[in-house]
Amino acid sequence: MKTWLRNHLLACCILALALTVGGMAYAETPAAPAQPAAAPAAPVPLATAELREAAAKAPTPADLAKGDPGGTLTGSIADVTVTDAKAGPTLADAGNQIGQNKVAINFVWTLVCGFLVMFMQAGFAMVESGLTRVKNANHTYMMNFFVYGCGLLAYWVIGFAIQMGGAAGNANLGGLYPLASEHSISLFGKTWGIFGETGYFLAGHAYDVGVMVIFLFQMVFMDTALTIVTGACAERWKFITFSVTSVIMGALTYPLFANWAWGGGWLSQLGANLGLGKGYADFAGSGVVHSVGGLTALAVCMIVGPRIGKFNRDGSANPIIGHDISAVLIGCFILAFGWFGFNPGSTLGASSNGNLRIGAIAVATMLAGCTGTFGAILYMWITKGKPDASMSGNGLLAGLVAITAPSGFVSAPSAAIIGLIAGVLVCVSVFLVENVLKVDDPVGAISVHGTNGLWGVLSVGLFADGTSNYGGSWNGVAGSVTGLFYGDASQLAAQLVGISTLLGAVFTLSFAINMVLEDVIGHRVSAETELNGLDIPEMGQLGYPEFVFRSEPSFSKAA
Amino acid sequence: MAASKSQGSYFGLFLVGGTVLCGGIAYIASGTGKLLLLVGAAILLVSVVGFLKIKPLEGENPVLPSPESMKWLGAGVALLGWLVTLGGLHLVTSNGGRMVVALLGIGVSLFGILYVLPAAFNKTAFWKKPAATSARAGFSSVAGRATLDSELTAAPTAVGGMK
Repeated sequence: MKTWLRNHLLACCILALALTVGGMAYAETPAAPAQPAAAPAAPVPLATAELREAAAKAPTPADLAKGDPGGTLTGSIADVTVTDAKAGPTLADAGNQIGQNKVAINFVWTLVCGFLVMFMQAGFAMVESGLTRVKNANHTYMMNFFVYGCGLLAYWVIGFAIQMGGAAGNANLGGLYPLASEHSISLFGKTWGIFGETGYFLAGHAYDVGVMVIFLFQMVFMDTALTIVTGACAERWKFITFSVTSVIMGALTYPLFANWAWGGGWLSQLGANLGLGKGYADFAGSGVVHSVGGLTALAVCMIVGPRIGKFNRDGSANPIIGHDISAVLIGCFILAFGWFGFNPGSTLGASSNGNLRIGAIAVATMLAGCTGTFGAILYMWITKGKPDASMSGNGLLAGLVAITAPSGFVSAPSAAIIGLIAGVLVCVSVFLVENVLKVDDPVGAISVHGTNGLWGVLSVGLFADGTSNYGGSWNGVAGSVTGLFYGDASQLAAQLVGISTLLGAVFTLSFAINMVLEDVIGHRVSAETELNGLDIPEMGQLGYPEFVFRSEPSFSKAA
Repeated sequence: MAASKSQGSYFGLFLVGGTVLCGGIAYIASGTGKLLLLVGAAILLVSVVGFLKIKPLEGENPVLPSPESMKWLGAGVALLGWLVTLGGLHLVTSNGGRMVVALLGIGVSLFGILYVLPAAFNKTAFWKKPAATSARAGFSSVAGRATLDSELTAAPTAVGGMK
């Protein structure tokens, strides 16, 4: 009894103490201002009410603290950024979040694809170096390495502004509105874009998240075009002249044509101005990247001349075999891997505007590479008796180059046909370049990228099936790109104008620039340097210092 | 002369000049832009003069002089093909007609690139000359070259084997 009494007394004391302290605390709290008489509450919109209800039901931090192995709790309406925490999520908040998510998905997609394309530089380096002799390995690798820096610098300074300075309006990447100035001329009553004018040094208004994304993606494309030339002119090209011409190409030649095709320039306006299909259509750059690189390679190759020993007095060609076929084939696989950034990435997004076609684009890319390999292997096996390894690699690349322009517009069977033709075409072209033109191209770059780049551009005008729908229009013309085989001959006309421009304008410009450089600097190393190998004279270090070379008596004597 | 300090210096100058020049173009509307344009052009000019100065130091290369006018003619024909295509876009109104003119333009350009230019460059090609006629002509055809290359690349022992 005593215990019972004591416990209850103690409890009463604690209760009294708590009430006293609580009362004091309440007394210290400033009195809340008198609330005005509540106005009649506006009816809450149904959607907003649903959002608030969903927010109330969203998993709490306590729920999430238990772990979410199934991934069913993580990511809910509670993660939506709200403008007024007290009011909770509104329809406007949800809409903003959806819009930002779309752009974020497209940013990430475009950036990751750009990273893949950047890695293609490693593939190019391996292919080109593997197809050249061991005494020039360091020089060839270094050209592929340094072209990245030369191109990037030139593109940042001016090239990007020329190419994309007037390319505002891309909905996938948030509009790119700072890039709003295209220099145009008025001709025959129509306005034609010639070059962009904003974005120099990525300064001023170009300091923008969307602009940075498109810069990175376009820059790695540009560098791909530049590195094509290094292979064609390998084993006799002066490093200084290579460096200068790469800077000029990254600053002027490439961006100019890329503006005409992709930056709102006159080729892309052929549809809107003259009714030629949807304008020049080059989805990922068979023309813009590969033909520009391949035709520039042809121009420089003509000027720099063939390697010593390539041709006999009767004009017949001698094979000069590369030093590392394993590097060549691994390099080809790296390139094929990077191509999944090249083509599907050219949607510039994975969300909305028809971008779910990325799967079809990736498969078209894969198939064309496959059939290109088959085309080259079978051609060589049947005509020469052996499934030549280097030509097989070139067949894979030829298929990929050819499908680059049409990848966004064609079906899987069409892609397979385009690739197969490319695989055969590259073998025929290599033979013609070497034996008819007497142009020495150690890696076959002119045929892989130049010839098949043109074939890719042409194939858009033939095989585009009219099923793609990138936001309902292409180059500002409503509808889908449709080729001759699917009923639109006018698209083929636009593609032919593009091919003519590549041959007549891009080749000529590249040729003129490099002819001037021939007079100012000179393209070709000395005969002595060429015979001894370019590694020591040009780079100061052998690519493979532990190798011992046999002398080349005939040429050493001549030197 | 292979790669050298002079080459590196003039290339550095070329990059600086080009960058300053582009800065001038970017801000051409302002007085600073015009000044940058002039300074950049001047630096580029110095680099070009430097390149010209060191060019003769390069050892003799095997390429023989070939007719310059024919080379420019070939480039001109290629350009002409493009102009034909452009002209066709405005002179012809039907799509079929434009296609025909574009094909004609492509044909003209290809004639310039695949016929005129190779003819110009190969007219005096060093590999056509007999070995005894000149030092540079000596880099021409060499009997057994294919065999030699095969020897150099076919087997590890021929390459020289690793130590």
